[in-house]
Amino acid sequence: MNTKLFSTTRLACAALFFFLLAGVSAQAADKPLKLEAQLILCSNDAPTNGKPVAPEIEKKLKRLPLKWQHYSVISAQTFTVAKDEIKPLVIGKSELAVKNLGGERVEVTLVGHGKITQSLKKGRTLVTNSNDDACLIVVRQID
Amino acid sequence: MNHEQQLKLQSFLDGELPESEAREILSWTQRDGAAAALLAELKNTRAAMTQADPHLSLPESREFFWSKIEREIQRREPVAASTPEISIYTVLRRWLLPAFAVCTIVIAGLIAHFNVPKTAVETVADADTPAVETTLANSDATTYRDASEGTTLVWFSSAADDNPVPDKTPAAIN
Repeated sequence: MNTKLFSTTRLACAALFFFLLAGVSAQAADKPLKLEAQLILCSNDAPTNGKPVAPEIEKKLKRLPLKWQHYSVISAQTFTVAKDEIKPLVIGKSELAVKNLGGERVEVTLVGHGKITQSLKKGRTLVTNSNDDACLIVVRQID
Repeated sequence: MNHEQQLKLQSFLDGELPESEAREILSWTQRDGAAAALLAELKNTRAAMTQADPHLSLPESREFFWSKIEREIQRREPVAASTPEISIYTVLRRWLLPAFAVCTIVIAGLIAHFNVPKTAVETVADADTPAVETTLANSDATTYRDASEGTTLVWFSSAADDNPVPDKTPAAIN
């Protein structure tokens, strides 16, 4: 009888696959994050200034327990943060510092308020308040 | 003559009918020309097939014939293969390749362990849960997470503020 539990070739291929996967995973965890921070004005009346928020963000905001019905973008900043880098931002009257912790996690410090450590994978959105009246800050990862 | 009667004639010829019925068929063939003709044709066909059947006979006894076949089969069976000499390449392939594969897996595991940051190996639930620290002693933070949309709301408030987080669904706020 010539039976083998594992073919040596298959075992070697599997090992190579896991080796490459580990390398890719490690590289993905360390890549810079391209983020966008938006200052969003909230109101219950139709917005008069700013441009409308993207539909996907509006959908997310409307699902949150907020009293407002209308949202418009006052300003937006796109920036890239390398791993372990801290990016300071001034958006409206708020000061932020965004740190890339690696593994698509960020530490957002809202100066004067506090610090949020959050996974910010693609499709995830972080919403926090701003020093501006009736405004939100939205941080998300973009392509 | 119908099909049933034709079958009766065939049965009569094969001797399968009881005696009384056979007599009836015999008298019927004597009366009916068509029946007599069919019976004669069936007899001729049967005789022709009997004569055409090949008669095979063996020149030797049955046991001797089969013993010859058995001996021939045994003669043609391959001799048990002698143990081939194992080459160095075969030994290397048999032992070193699995050893190499296991070593590669261990190295890959070690690389993954030391390269992937600790945050990346946290569970998904832990990664999704925001960690919030407030700067001021009298301030507070309210966190609301919409898992289906992947949205996290963190609302910082100080004691002097009125409740800034509106209450679309107050019960949902932690």
